[in-house]
Amino acid sequence: MSNFAKRTGLRIAACLVAATSLTSCTTFGPEPWEKDLMAKKPMQIDAYAFEKAAADHIFFSKEASSGGRGFAGGGCGCN
Amino acid sequence: MQLKKRQGKIRAKLSTLSASLIAATVAAHVEQADAQAYGSEYYNTVTRNDDFGPGIAYSQIDAALLVYFEQNGRITAIEPTAALTVHGAKDQLLTLELTADAVSGATPNGAVRANVAQTFSTPARTPDSSYSVSGASGGSTIVHVAGNTYIRQYTVAAGQLPMDKGFEDHRGAFNLGYSQPWGWLTQFGAGIGYSMESDYSSATGDVHAAKTFNSNNTTLSLSLNTEYDTSSPYGGVPGAFALADGAWRSEKSRSKTQLGFVLGLTQVMTRNWLMQLNYAYDRQNGYQSDPYRILSEVDSASGEPLRYVYESRPAKRSSQSVFWDNKISLGPTLTEISARYFTDSWGIKSVTGEVSERVDLTSRFFVEPSLRYYHQTAADFFHYYLVSGQALPAYASSDTRLGKFTSITYGAKLGYALSGRTELYVRGGYYVQTGNGHPADAIGQLQGQDLFGGTKAMFAFIGYTWNFH
Repeated sequence: MSNFAKRTGLRIAACLVAATSLTSCTTFGPEPWEKDLMAKKPMQIDAYAFEKAAADHIFFSKEASSGGRGFAGGGCGCN
Repeated sequence: MQLKKRQGKIRAKLSTLSASLIAATVAAHVEQADAQAYGSEYYNTVTRNDDFGPGIAYSQIDAALLVYFEQNGRITAIEPTAALTVHGAKDQLLTLELTADAVSGATPNGAVRANVAQTFSTPARTPDSSYSVSGASGGSTIVHVAGNTYIRQYTVAAGQLPMDKGFEDHRGAFNLGYSQPWGWLTQFGAGIGYSMESDYSSATGDVHAAKTFNSNNTTLSLSLNTEYDTSSPYGGVPGAFALADGAWRSEKSRSKTQLGFVLGLTQVMTRNWLMQLNYAYDRQNGYQSDPYRILSEVDSASGEPLRYVYESRPAKRSSQSVFWDNKISLGPTLTEISARYFTDSWGIKSVTGEVSERVDLTSRFFVEPSLRYYHQTAADFFHYYLVSGQALPAYASSDTRLGKFTSITYGAKLGYALSGRTELYVRGGYYVQTGNGHPADAIGQLQGQDLFGGTKAMFAFIGYTWNFH
């Protein structure tokens, strides 16, 4: 392999690594100082998990589908 | 710490990347400082109903009562639940949950309606039991048969949906879980659970891991779970298509095992929008029939019931589902929209859509109406009834829950923050199933009967949450 090819290859590799690194620095989604709404309780994924589990238990015992939000099944002989 | 060490090595070797790494480190510090600022803000603002924020140890107690009852004297259930969640200062999480429930009432036995009175025989709860129940559609009498066992009989009037009114059960369950940051993982933990009824027990275990990155905007999670269930029906386990004559069976119990995983992606899309996408796979193997459910075997011309046999379901079932959840916060409102697609190896496909709208009327009080739509196709082996003289299928069940139907749930929730760290809420719901009660191929007298034994139910869920040090 010629020196030119080696240099070109190294440059391309360096550019790719740099590009990947720079991409990792940019965030998809809001910046940390824009998380005020996300910090609220009802915006949490597991907010009212108790209530959602109870609702899922009702639906699971009356329907053939289960799971999605969490595990399938219900630990009971109701279905 | 590990991240900083790794960054140092990279910086020494690849000087061209140093600028971007420094930028990343600065961003991480800004984020950390920001998180601390949030923490102190919430810690000091006790009148708000938010959590304690990062880095502060606290505990949470949840207590709830679910009251559920179906129309026409069918199932009634009361389920109290309590849970303790301990949040450690270093993101450790310990949860203990206790549940009890009492279920009673009438449940469809699987037979179809008929234009004549129908009498059913089933094993009594224990050989020596001597209770009887009565209802509008007929009482039951205890019949002594040879072998010192007892059979419970009940009669259902013509045109009535056959239901067993002797249904009664109690359940107790606990779940224990622990997780904490571990090495590269943001959270890693495990849980166990056990649930026991008089004729059913279930032991569960799970392991879960989550990694948060992209400035805490993205979380990837993986949960593995397993379950071992044992069914020990009153009167023993009936064989496939065994005659439902109330005879006791020699096999006392059967079991099934389950393995599954859930792969989840949570993404903060914008300042207002949180999204979650889950893929779940589940595999069950073992006894999955309902040991109390029967099918009518009817005359091929008149449709009159000739006898009743126990159902039979395949031993293997695998299912997959995709669940998509969105929370959108706009001013005093929070909209949650979710969708689920489910498919399994029994031929069932379902779609679920749910929307709720939380409106904060004051800083303490909110209302949240909700609507849920669900539709499923029938299992390959769903049959309203079997026809005498025809070859038996490999599997058959008349359980409406395995049939084709649509359900709508209308709900509303009211919540009130008693203080900054306590909240009381009530959720009420009305659930109604609609299905095809008049299949085109119904035989004889069955053409005039409603063959869909769907459910209409009301429920209320009262919950209380208390966060404390």
